[in-house]
Amino acid sequence: MKKLFTEDGKSIEIKLNENLYGKNSELAEKNLEILNKQGIHAIDILGSIGSGKTSIIQQLVARLHTTFRTAVIAGDLTTTIDADRIKNRGAKVIQINTDGGCHLDANLVGRGLETLDLKSLDLILVENVGNLICPSSFPVGTHQRIVVVSTTEGPYMIVKHPYIFKDATVVVINKKDMAKAMELELDQFRKDALKIKPGIKVVYTNARTGEGIPELIEKLNISKE
Amino acid sequence: MHEASIGQSIVKTVLCEAEKQKAVKVESVEIEIGELTFLGQEQVEFWIKTGFESTIAESAKIIFKKIKAGIRCNKCGFQGNIRIKEDPQYHMMLPTFSCPKCGSSEVAIIRGKDAFIRRIQITQE
Repeated sequence: MKKLFTEDGKSIEIKLNENLYGKNSELAEKNLEILNKQGIHAIDILGSIGSGKTSIIQQLVARLHTTFRTAVIAGDLTTTIDADRIKNRGAKVIQINTDGGCHLDANLVGRGLETLDLKSLDLILVENVGNLICPSSFPVGTHQRIVVVSTTEGPYMIVKHPYIFKDATVVVINKKDMAKAMELELDQFRKDALKIKPGIKVVYTNARTGEGIPELIEKLNISKE
Repeated sequence: MHEASIGQSIVKTVLCEAEKQKAVKVESVEIEIGELTFLGQEQVEFWIKTGFESTIAESAKIIFKKIKAGIRCNKCGFQGNIRIKEDPQYHMMLPTFSCPKCGSSEVAIIRGKDAFIRRIQITQE
């Protein structure tokens, strides 16, 4: 910290340079370090409410838990609905409630990690709070980020939330079966995503039937450390 | 959407520092907001002013500066601002997270994700 007297000689200027997101970034790095040390791959799953995050996770867990010892950290504002849906699918599930907060942060996820037996895990899926804005500013310390958008949310979900894609590795366009009913051109989602982040991987899914989930798994390219 | 918590965090930090410095008045607070933070300046200011009410920072001038979003290309080494251009299809300003020089998508964001309390000006007894 640097103190400087201003011209009037009465008031002083104090340089703080305090990063308001600094603490979260530090904790996110710490989380990643802990995961790397244990050889665990972690994926943060983002998307708005009702886009199909939980259904995608259910499908991923069902297919992956025999190869990767999997845990799910389910973030929600107040309920345990999502955690209950994922339980009994072959993964350990822990619930984090943000008590109304609009995003998970590295501190909450770090506390979640403390409650898991990390030595017995290969993969952790983090279900973030349903929101396409705030979570983008709060990395939680995962290796990858998936953004889920669905056709029933309308045609503009990607272009209206471009910044959520900055750290995303894969975009999932869910409810592909509903595109016709919504009178949408599916390929437009891919074009929009590539316009914002060239090279981003795009997968079309129907999380109810599991269609597209094998392609998603392939694009996630998870391997045992 | 998290302007309230960011505003409250600024209020807490400024008042703590002012107390440490035995200030009788906080004259000004300078804040920098990154382009990629989604923080609405007007809302942040509202929450700071609300928090400063009835404190020694009540009349503090709040100065805002913007931090442009910057990237570094891992392929060609380019460093600079990200491209934000109007998309004629949607009439919206869309950012492109790729290198404006070589087109590679192997870019790292080096600026614009953070927000800072840069400095405060106080008067002591």
